[in-house]
Amino acid sequence: MTSRLCVKGLVFRRGGRIILDHVDLEFGEGEILALLGGNGAGKTTLLRCMLGLLRPDAGSVELDGQPLGTLNHQKIAATVAYVPQAHIAPFPYTVDEVVTLGRLPHRGLWGRASARDRRAVEDALRRMGIEALRYRIYTELSGGERQLVLIARALAQEAKLIVMDEPVSGLDFGHQTQLLVCLDELAAQGIGILKTTHHPEHALFVATRVALLENGSIQQNGKPQTLLTPEGMERLYGVRVEVLTSTNGGKAFVPVFQRTGD
Amino acid sequence: MTGKRHPFLLHQGLAIGLLALALYALSTGPYPLSFGDILRFLTVSCGFGDMPGERYALLYNLLVEIRLPRVLAALLIGAALAVSGAAFQGVFQNPLVSPNLLGVLSGAAFGAALGILISGSWILIQTSAFFCGIAAVAVALFIARSFGQSSLLLLILGGIISGALFSALLSIVKYTADQENQLPEIVIWLMGSLSGASLPDVLWLSLPVVALIAALCALSRWLDALSMGDDEARTLGVPVTFTRYGVIGCATLLCAVTVSLAGMIGWIGLFIPHVARLLTGPGHTRLLPASALLGAAFLLLADLAARQFSTQEIPIGIITELFGIPVFLIVLRHVRRGWNT
Repeated sequence: MTSRLCVKGLVFRRGGRIILDHVDLEFGEGEILALLGGNGAGKTTLLRCMLGLLRPDAGSVELDGQPLGTLNHQKIAATVAYVPQAHIAPFPYTVDEVVTLGRLPHRGLWGRASARDRRAVEDALRRMGIEALRYRIYTELSGGERQLVLIARALAQEAKLIVMDEPVSGLDFGHQTQLLVCLDELAAQGIGILKTTHHPEHALFVATRVALLENGSIQQNGKPQTLLTPEGMERLYGVRVEVLTSTNGGKAFVPVFQRTGD
Repeated sequence: MTGKRHPFLLHQGLAIGLLALALYALSTGPYPLSFGDILRFLTVSCGFGDMPGERYALLYNLLVEIRLPRVLAALLIGAALAVSGAAFQGVFQNPLVSPNLLGVLSGAAFGAALGILISGSWILIQTSAFFCGIAAVAVALFIARSFGQSSLLLLILGGIISGALFSALLSIVKYTADQENQLPEIVIWLMGSLSGASLPDVLWLSLPVVALIAALCALSRWLDALSMGDDEARTLGVPVTFTRYGVIGCATLLCAVTVSLAGMIGWIGLFIPHVARLLTGPGHTRLLPASALLGAAFLLLADLAARQFSTQEIPIGIITELFGIPVFLIVLRHVRRGWNT
């Protein structure tokens, strides 16, 4: 059976204010779902609900038909992994130690590292192309390298679904592109990916589906080619947008800069 | 955790060093003994060989009744404070945290002073210090909970408030204490001393201390994940609330035991984990045992210094701070690696 994460009629309030209003969303193995929305639209809150980090006020999040609230975190972690934005950890763990943490849901609190654990770690490092960083100190790496390490940890976790919070934020141009290619490959290997993004052209390049979140509800959910239009982007971000097409068919969204008073 | 750091047997080496240091501590004093004397005494008391009864009585008095309780107390308290500090730093995701973050030492200080004020009984002072230390942490947790969330920030805030409260209460006790006898006694007690430890006390308290250190070691792997952040730990399958309160509980009890045994001994909980981290890296599976061994060795050395520098014994809390600060400064030069400061 392939794994799916489904959000049904999810409502989330904070201090009486409605952050998420009857959201329906789902994604499964092999898909890349890009979640777009302006600042404060509720993207991160939705992500945290889908990871079981926040308890919704109404509606449910179900993993393979079972509400997250009824599953313990170790069960969830064996299927769903979280890749936070590349952060600075307070302690100087090595890359190897950080990636090995991904084995925690399988290995438990006291289990010794089995041959399978070690293989999963090595495999994850190889797939992300960061074997050379293995014994470097995680906190001393660049933002791009740290992001790759965190994805490697999700792979070591052998998660079928990976939830990523703005995976390209803070990465330079080259690393952004490499990361997108890497996500594409992971999806081809059957992993399901949900990512939030502020880059419509990235979604257009890599996503199999996009969802547009506006004022706490999903306004549209469908194919990138049909939803990621200048009109759609104008509505979402409130600025005029033009689309440029390059000679190889790649598209770029360009805001139309206007000074007030022009 | 696996890692290429220090393939040699670090912990075994530290343990052997600590044992040698403990033997040295047993042999020094106003009446110096040789290692041979100690070894002979050990074999005789195990039933092998023979020794004149008078000589045996003298050695028994020196080694078992006078020096052993002190050495054991130093080992136990040093290990407990260092492990408690390392655990607090991990659970609060901050390398600058000391075990007093949630007010356990402030509470215990108040408790001890109150015990001295009410009666001079040693057992009452110990019990009162222990329970007030725990009460202070309970107050901190209660304040954090009453705001509805158990976020780190609120816990720290709760600790600050609780610490301030018990410091104020301590001042009240000091103010009302009899200035001829009680006040000096309170002040001296707060400086920490290993001289009050009796063998039965130390042996009895070694059980909970060892058990609590073992419990923290057992939680190491969850603590590793938790030291990276709450959300990450949860999505790695760690029961965050259980781990957090479990670790806080064990570390607090460890601290409270040390205060009830020897008063306030500062700095060990803050800087020994840094020294240990330089040797083992931050993974708690290796860090906690190394902290225990180093903490024990440091306090033993400090006690040796306290006994040797003057005939009038210097309170050990003063020694640990005086020695701890330069060591911490040296360590800090290396520790900043990886802090992104």
